[in-house]
Amino acid sequence: MNGNIVKIEKVNFKYKGSEEGLLKDTSLNIKKGETVLLTGASGSGKTTIIRLINGLIPHYYQGDLEGDVEVAGYDIAKTELYELAGVVGTVFQNPRSQFFSVDTDGEIVFGPENIGLDPKEILERKNDVVREMHIEKLLGRSLFELSGGEKQSIACASVSALLPEIILLDEPSSNLDQSAIRKLADEIRLWKSQGKTIVISEHRLWYLKDLVDRVIYMDHGKIRHEWTGGEFRSLGKTDIKKLQLRPLEVKDILSASCGCEGECGMECGMDLSGTDTDDGIMLDDFFFSYERKPYLFWKKQFSAEDENLTLCIPHLVLPAASVIGVVGKNGTGKSTFLKCLCGLEKDCKGKVEYEGKTYKGRERLKLCYMVMQDVNHQLFTDSVGAEVILSMETEDNERVDEILESLGILEFKDKHPMALSGGQKQRVAIASAMAASAKLMLFDEPTSGLDYSHMEQVAKLLQSLASSGITVLVATHDPELIEMCCDYLLCIENGKTGYMKRL
Amino acid sequence: MRLKLDPRTKLYMILVVSAVVLMSATTTFLWTVRIIMTLIPVILLVIEKRYSSALWFAFLYTVALIVTFMFLSEESTGIFKALLTGYSGIVVQFMPALITAWYVVRTTKIGEFMSAMQKMHVPDGITISLAVVMRFFPTIREEYSAISDAMKMRGISLGGGNAVKMVEYRMIPLLFSCVNIGDELSAAAITRGLGGEVKRTSVGELRLRAADWLLITAFTAVAVLFVIFKYIL
Repeated sequence: MNGNIVKIEKVNFKYKGSEEGLLKDTSLNIKKGETVLLTGASGSGKTTIIRLINGLIPHYYQGDLEGDVEVAGYDIAKTELYELAGVVGTVFQNPRSQFFSVDTDGEIVFGPENIGLDPKEILERKNDVVREMHIEKLLGRSLFELSGGEKQSIACASVSALLPEIILLDEPSSNLDQSAIRKLADEIRLWKSQGKTIVISEHRLWYLKDLVDRVIYMDHGKIRHEWTGGEFRSLGKTDIKKLQLRPLEVKDILSASCGCEGECGMECGMDLSGTDTDDGIMLDDFFFSYERKPYLFWKKQFSAEDENLTLCIPHLVLPAASVIGVVGKNGTGKSTFLKCLCGLEKDCKGKVEYEGKTYKGRERLKLCYMVMQDVNHQLFTDSVGAEVILSMETEDNERVDEILESLGILEFKDKHPMALSGGQKQRVAIASAMAASAKLMLFDEPTSGLDYSHMEQVAKLLQSLASSGITVLVATHDPELIEMCCDYLLCIENGKTGYMKRL
Repeated sequence: MRLKLDPRTKLYMILVVSAVVLMSATTTFLWTVRIIMTLIPVILLVIEKRYSSALWFAFLYTVALIVTFMFLSEESTGIFKALLTGYSGIVVQFMPALITAWYVVRTTKIGEFMSAMQKMHVPDGITISLAVVMRFFPTIREEYSAISDAMKMRGISLGGGNAVKMVEYRMIPLLFSCVNIGDELSAAAITRGLGGEVKRTSVGELRLRAADWLLITAFTAVAVLFVIFKYIL
C-alpha cells in the first residue's frame, strides 16, 4: 500500500445529464494519518472528490466514471456502499438533512446498528464518543430542537461511533456560527490526534489553517496548486485574494459577547454613535416570546416587564439607506428579530416609523421583505418573470425587465426558478422584493456556503441596494462579508441590542 | 412516570382501532365498548404529558358524540343537520384511529421501530420506507411553516383568491425542498451502512412487559366483542 490510504488515479467524471465533465484527469494520493484540505470555487470538483472517496460516486450519484479509485485497499467501483460504512465516514454540509433518527441517542448508534455490531459494544462506543466529544448534555433530546451547531456535533459523533479510518467533511461549517465552528475544529483536532485520515472540503479557511498537513486547490475539475500546511499558512493576503479564496485570518467580531446580561430595557453599553435620530427607520416596542401563557379570551401583548422574552427591543434607530450587519451567536434572537421586524410573528406588536409614516402589524409586511436562508422556500411560480410580476400590485412588464436587468438576470426571464443556481435564485428573490417596492430588506445568512467570488458579488449587490435608497439588514456569521459591505454593525444578544456602531 | 410500550403493541393498537372504527356500532353496548377503547390512547397521551393534543381530541370527540346522540336522528333533514352529521360522523368514526396513530408517531423512536419490524420479519424494504416516512413528518412541518411565512411576506397566502393557486404555491416549493432533503438524507444514511446485507442489531432491548400484555389483551377483547356482538349474535 506504500502508505497511501486513498488513491485516485486519472479519474474523469461527468454527472449523468450534464454535458461538461466535473473532474478532468485528476489524480490524488492521500497518506494514512494525513489531514488534507480541498479548496477552490464552487463547482470546482471538491465535493466530487469527497463523493469518490466515500463511494457515493458511482453507487448513488450516477455518471460516467473513468479511472481507478482505491480506498483502504477497497476498489471503490466494485465495493458495495455498506461495506465502506465502517471504513469511511462522512460529515455533510447541511445539518438538517443528514440525520436519520429523530433522537440524539438513536442517531449516534444508528451506524453501528446498521453494520450489525453487538449491542454491548455499540453502547461502549457510544459512551466513549460522548465522553471524548463532551456532548453529554445533548443526549436524550429530539434532534429537531437542536441548533445547527449542536446537530453538527451529533453528526460528528455518529460518524465517530463507526470508528472509520478515514473521515470526510463536506463544507461542514456552512451553517454554523463562529463558536460552533471552533467546536468543530476541536472535533477535527481530536480525530487528528487519534491518527485518522481526514479530508475536508471547505471555503472557510481560518479555522482549518493550523490543522491541515496539505492543501489542494481545485479549479474547473483540476488540481491547480498543492501546498504543505506550512507553505499554505505563509501565503500572503494578495496571493489568497488572487486565488479567490476566503481570507486566512478573520476579525473576531462575531463570537465576542456584546455584554447584555441585564434586564430588558436596559441599555447595555449601547453605542449609537453615528446614528442620527432624525434620519432613519425607527423601531419601537419590539417584544416577543415563544413561551406564551395561555389566555382564554384576549391576547396579551408582550411588554418590557415580561419574563423570558426572546426579543426585547424597546427602541432602536436604523440608519436609512445603509447596509447594517446583524451579528450575535446562534440562537440569540437574530432570526426572531428579523421575523418580528417584517411582521411574520403576529404577536409582536412593534411599530416601524419610516419617512413620517408609522407601520404596524401587517402593514410592516409591505414595508419589509426578507430573503430567507433557504431561498427555495420563497420561489413559487414557473418562470423568473412571473415570479417578479407576482409581487407587483399592477403588472408592469417594463419595470420587470428593468429590475431583472439591474440584477443581471434578464437572460433567465423565461426560465424556471428552480433550474437556476443558488446565487441566481437569491437574485430572483431580491428581484421580487424590489418589485414589491420594499424599503427595508432583510437577509438571513445570504452567504452561508458561498465561495469568495460569490460572496463578493453578494456584497456588491447589498451595497448597490443601499445606494438606491433601500435599508439593508443582513444577519451573518461571515466576518468577511461584514468587512466587504457593512456600514453599521448591530449586535444582538439574548434578544437585546448590544451595540450599534459605524464601521 | 414514563410508560414505555413496545412498538409492536403500538402497531397492534393501530390495527385494532382502525378495524373497530370501520365496523359501525349499532347498540348501546357496542358504543360503550368503542368509547372505552377510544379513551385508552387519550390516557396514554396524558401519561406522555401531551396534554394539549389529548385535551383537544377529547373535546372534539365529546362534542361530536353529544351532537350525534342528542341532536341527530334518522329523521334529521336540512343542510345544517347534514353538515353536522358529516362533521360528527367523521370525528366519531375516524378520529380514534387518527389519535392512536398520532400517539404512536410521537412516541416511537425510529431505531426501536426498525428493530420491532425486524423482529416481526417484515422485509427491510418496507421497514426502511416506513421509517423514512416517520422521519419526514417533522421535516415537512418545518418546511411548510417556512413556506407559509414566505407566502405571507408576498401577500399570497390566499393565492389572490384563487384556490388552485393557493395549493400550487404551497405545494411546489414544498415538493422541491422535500425531494432535496430526501436525497441528501438517503445519501447520508447509506454512507452509514443502511440497507446493507448485514443483519441489523439494536441497542434498545425490545421486550413485551406487563403494560404491553395488558393493552394487547384489552384491545383483543374489544375486537372480539365487536365481532361477536355484531356479526355472530
